[in-house]
Amino acid sequence: MKLSLSSVYRPYRFPTLINSSALGRPFCSPALSSPSTILKPQVPLFLRPPINSTKLCDLKKWHDWAKGVATSIGSAFVHSDNGPDSSLLCREIKWLMEDAVEDHSVFSHVGLEGDECVKMRVDIEELYCLWKQRVQERRPFQYIVGCEHWRDLVLSVQEGVLIPRPETELIVDFVCDVVSKNEDLKRGVWADLGTGSGALAIGIGRVLESEGRVIATDLSHVAVSVAAYNVKRYCLQDKIELREGSWFEPLRDMEGKLAGLVSNPPYIPSKDISGLQAEVGRHEPRVALDGGIDGMDALLHLCDGAALMLKPGGFFAFETNGEQQCRALVDYMENNRSGSFCNFEILADFAGIQRFVIGFHQ
Amino acid sequence: MSMAHRTLFKPTFLLTLTHNKTFISHNPFRHSIILPSTTITLNTHLRWCSSNYTTTIDDGSTAKAKGYLGLTDEELMRQCELGTFKTSGPGGQHRNKRESAVRLKHLPTGIIAQASEDRSQHKNRASALNRLRSLIALKVRKPVDLDSYSPPLELLQILPPKSSIRGSDCGPQIGPNNPKFALGMQALLDLIFAAEGSVSEVAKYLGLSTGALSRLILSDDSLRMEVNNLRASKGMKPLK
Ligand SMILES: C[S@@+](CC[C@H](N)C(=O)[O-])C[C@H]1O[C@@H](n2cnc3c(N)ncnc32)[C@H](O)[C@@H]1O
Repeated sequence: MKLSLSSVYRPYRFPTLINSSALGRPFCSPALSSPSTILKPQVPLFLRPPINSTKLCDLKKWHDWAKGVATSIGSAFVHSDNGPDSSLLCREIKWLMEDAVEDHSVFSHVGLEGDECVKMRVDIEELYCLWKQRVQERRPFQYIVGCEHWRDLVLSVQEGVLIPRPETELIVDFVCDVVSKNEDLKRGVWADLGTGSGALAIGIGRVLESEGRVIATDLSHVAVSVAAYNVKRYCLQDKIELREGSWFEPLRDMEGKLAGLVSNPPYIPSKDISGLQAEVGRHEPRVALDGGIDGMDALLHLCDGAALMLKPGGFFAFETNGEQQCRALVDYMENNRSGSFCNFEILADFAGIQRFVIGFHQ
Repeated sequence: MSMAHRTLFKPTFLLTLTHNKTFISHNPFRHSIILPSTTITLNTHLRWCSSNYTTTIDDGSTAKAKGYLGLTDEELMRQCELGTFKTSGPGGQHRNKRESAVRLKHLPTGIIAQASEDRSQHKNRASALNRLRSLIALKVRKPVDLDSYSPPLELLQILPPKSSIRGSDCGPQIGPNNPKFALGMQALLDLIFAAEGSVSEVAKYLGLSTGALSRLILSDDSLRMEVNNLRASKGMKPLK
């Protein structure tokens, strides 16, 4: 079947949040040095200067209060929308203290008593506010501390950017495997479409040879800014280029040249969005989650584009909503894109859910 | 449409698949095995292990002990069932729950190691694997022929420098916090079991005083417990 170029490049949907200036600009410089166009990302809590000082006994008071709040939740959130239970919330209190307090050795001081002071990266009053937001508004813990631990990385995240999921970590392992057996792909140009926090781009950037590069794209201006911040923190500015725009639109110059293409696009069917766990449905950006009626809008578009963008022997990996989407995607490739791809595999995540479709360009 | 359904354990990714066939695999992860537990037996698993250690697994149940600890992390991981978060709900983008706990079950021995203290699943996996190594060292015994005994290098390396049989080529003493300690500890336990828990007898084989050997055993809590369990089973007093 003949590919229609115009359909691949057509910004496949225009969410209302995109502004015209972003559309006119084919790409956005990776450096944080164009302040007029790049939003200034928030600094994660653990990287803020420890300029606040709190008495140990006051920190202890906060801790006991936060624990009481967490305990009172019991399994109420689990029952309402499969949210966190109190034991998970209690673990989060520990992590929040780890990020907020400069000297972790205070945690081993038995009792946390006394007038002695600890240096903190946040004011104790704000710590009360943050925990209230966590429990009352169900604000995701990762937005509270401004980061997510993902693989061996600590990535900055904030409202407007999807929090990277543990399932997605596996895509980096797939790429590792492929490039360890193929020098050519290891030195090539890869694309991460819908990069969000930059997680996949950074994970992949670190396994490529020195000549290897990654182009990471996103429609969301906040995502591109946060990804740029993370890229810079891992000193990968020379390797990872960020481009703002819809899917393949910022990649016109890469037709037939990509060694690899990965994406974790929005894949949740629209009707399921309202039933999501509050942390996700109320706080994470809809444009990062909503995949249209059957959740496949972006995935199908990405398949079409992959056929055009990958060079012969190039590798692709997509994350999906599960078995049904994996099968539908493979069907689509076999029937509508026959001859373009080969060696498909459907792979499961840690929980045994068939989650990924991978394969190669002919 | 031709869909070949296979449930398989892949040591690594299979990249040499037939054209235009889809393989459904339950093992996406190159360091790990996800078990659709009912469908896979140990034998299926072994077929997919690379030959250099298949043999160590297949031969007598005790001779393989050193084999496990000699494996690389990836090889060892391939012998494990990896359990992570529970499978309630569709996961992926639907979910925000930091269930990063990792539970490894080493299939050939049934030993289970877990880790949950870190926020990242990646790091918990590494901790669980280290823990698994020391559990294997503690629990898997290899017979020792005392008449022709000569201590292996990994055991010499954990001995204090004053041991009269420890040559200077052994390098500095390896302590309990070093991941290599597990191998030496395993060899030491093999010897102690062969000597039926007698510390003074083992001390002679190692060129140490009984006191120096006791101190070595007491330097690691799990080692001490293992030795004392053995001694208790033989009606001996615990080391303190
Ligand atoms: C599920 S998130 C994945 C983010 C990141 N790759 C990860 O795995 O954590 C999907 C991403 O696709 C982006 N996106 C949605 N529509 C897009 C479009 N038309 N073009 C480019 N990116 C888009 C969203 O902004 C979001 O960052």
